[in-house]
Amino acid sequence: MNLFRSEDHARRWAQFNPASEAGLGFIPVPDLVAFFGTETRRHMLDPDYLSTWYPKRAAERRAVLERIGKTTPFWLGTPAPS
Amino acid sequence: MFHLIMRGLVDHGRAPHYAEMAPALGLSVEDGRRLLRDVMQAYPIGWLHPDTDYVASFPPLNNLPTQYRVTVGGEQKWFAQCGFEATSVTWLFPGATVRIDAPCLDCGDPMRIEMRDGELVAVDPPGLVGHLNWGFGPSRGRPPFL
Repeated sequence: MNLFRSEDHARRWAQFNPASEAGLGFIPVPDLVAFFGTETRRHMLDPDYLSTWYPKRAAERRAVLERIGKTTPFWLGTPAPS
Repeated sequence: MFHLIMRGLVDHGRAPHYAEMAPALGLSVEDGRRLLRDVMQAYPIGWLHPDTDYVASFPPLNNLPTQYRVTVGGEQKWFAQCGFEATSVTWLFPGATVRIDAPCLDCGDPMRIEMRDGELVAVDPPGLVGHLNWGFGPSRGRPPFL
């Protein structure tokens, strides 16, 4: 999960995975900030983060991914349709 | 223990060793080691260095240096786990400007993101983009090689 100067730079990366092209592996920085800026993230320094907040993370992430249109198995972590 | 690790990373730029944390938790050193393993199992987005009990990654920060250097208040002593988690580091430093610097893996030229309280302050170059090379879930690569 890396940052690149542009999509073209990512495609030229020696370790670029062609499947990430098909899976639309690119994400604009503002969407990335939304994806990693959900409510639970704001509580990472709370003493009860692991027990109270971390378990909510998966649902929160899925909601953001659906909002920004990242609904492929590649992003959702679900098995690809056969 | 989770809180001690995260707090240690934020305050000192490194994760404390389980032998340092055990006394603070009223545990024997060995029980501290076991608890560390339990914590990492409960927080699988982080990991220990393979075949050791050393914390390698504890997102959003990394105990092992990565190319994602984090600067806060002019001091660079942190590293983000990856480019994505880098955008979450801002939540560990409320009220402060957090700067992420990294070289592009294609050309080596610099990239920079600055954030404050979750808001983007600067992005350079403006076309900077995130890229997920291996999908989440079943298609994900081995954790240390995200």
